[in-house]
Amino acid sequence: MDYFCPQTLEEAFSLLANDPDARCLAGGATLMAMMNAELLSPTTLVSLRSIDALKGIVASSEGFRIGAMTRHHEVANYAALDGGFEVVRLAAGEIGHPAIRAVGTIGGSIAHADPAADYPTALVAADAEIELSNSAGQRRIAASDFFEDFFTTALQAGEIVTAVHLKSQPLMNVSAYTKIARCDGDFATASLAFCGSFDNRTCASARVAVGGCAATPIHVPAVDAMLVGSELGSETINDAAAALADACDPIDDVRGTADYRRLLVKRLLPPLLERACASRAG
Amino acid sequence: MTTGHLFTLNINGETVELSAPAGHTLLDVLRDQLFLTGSKRGCNQGVCGACTVLRDGVPTRACLSLAIDCSDFAITTIEGLAEPGETHPVQEAFAEVSAPQCGFCMSGMVLVAKALLDTNPHPSRDEIREALSGNLCRCTGYIKIIEAIELASEGIA
Repeated sequence: MDYFCPQTLEEAFSLLANDPDARCLAGGATLMAMMNAELLSPTTLVSLRSIDALKGIVASSEGFRIGAMTRHHEVANYAALDGGFEVVRLAAGEIGHPAIRAVGTIGGSIAHADPAADYPTALVAADAEIELSNSAGQRRIAASDFFEDFFTTALQAGEIVTAVHLKSQPLMNVSAYTKIARCDGDFATASLAFCGSFDNRTCASARVAVGGCAATPIHVPAVDAMLVGSELGSETINDAAAALADACDPIDDVRGTADYRRLLVKRLLPPLLERACASRAG
Repeated sequence: MTTGHLFTLNINGETVELSAPAGHTLLDVLRDQLFLTGSKRGCNQGVCGACTVLRDGVPTRACLSLAIDCSDFAITTIEGLAEPGETHPVQEAFAEVSAPQCGFCMSGMVLVAKALLDTNPHPSRDEIREALSGNLCRCTGYIKIIEAIELASEGIA
């Protein structure tokens, strides 16, 4: 196996172009675990750790650009991610343990595309865009289109995830994240993320995503539409939760059965909305 | 034979020149080349924490770190926590309350405790539990470990 540690994206692109079996090494939290388990044995590793263009969070009037090499603990501690953006910060804080959050990166996590991971669900709820780059240029794709299947994304050969963009949101927006796992630090049996707003206790806008319950994060526009105009505690909220659970396509695995996951989705949505509503200023 | 890559690592204050395949983890190199066997190989998946070392003072999984990718960091293993023949105050506190049982998780636990107390000399019990959350003890001796860290904390001005 070869190893390279390029200083620029251009060098990284040409290294990837030279070997179709090359893999990018970000924090290592996932790739190294897969290599240790002998699930993957790349012929070339391209370490992204020295490329400055991939590092850090930049705030602007358009929102936030989170560089692909930004570590989970940086996102989890970035206090400016509040209101409608808070869901991303909360999800980052739920990933693994402190030693994992110190090395794992947002780019590595989403490129791996485990549907039970925390970021994919939060990024779909926040309607984030994923920035993908290669030697020909850059494109952006909605998070909901980026995740295509279990461990499968829209990333093309030779492309690198270079950033996540969180578009600006109305100031009144709030968000919340909840996750049920077998133990602290595990992947989700089921997770739910919410972005939206409330007028008193009536939902004024909504975008809900579910993790761990299908091959990709589940987002159902019809469920969002049911929530809008509904008062917390009303029967419509329960109907929306049931519709959301029906839209999931979970599997039976070591973290829970498909039926249990649907039950979780149904029961987790109402308290998630309560928490989001309660988080409004003050 | 796998091709060896030449690189240097800074381990316990010393610069070490190495030749190892690019795919070798920091844990492979520590245990199999440098015979620093205090870092344990438990799950090799980043879950158990037995291989935890400090990378620039931050607890990190040696099993998830590619050795050649660590050349910019100062690595501290349990062997480097105190001079040979001496013990670090955190180690003394662990011994004082009999925190070690089988001992397999201890190097990771002690290094996590050291890193915590370096940044937060008087942590609350919740902060200690959060810091230890990624380190598994199969003997389930967590209470003594928490007490050891509280004891070590009391010795800090």
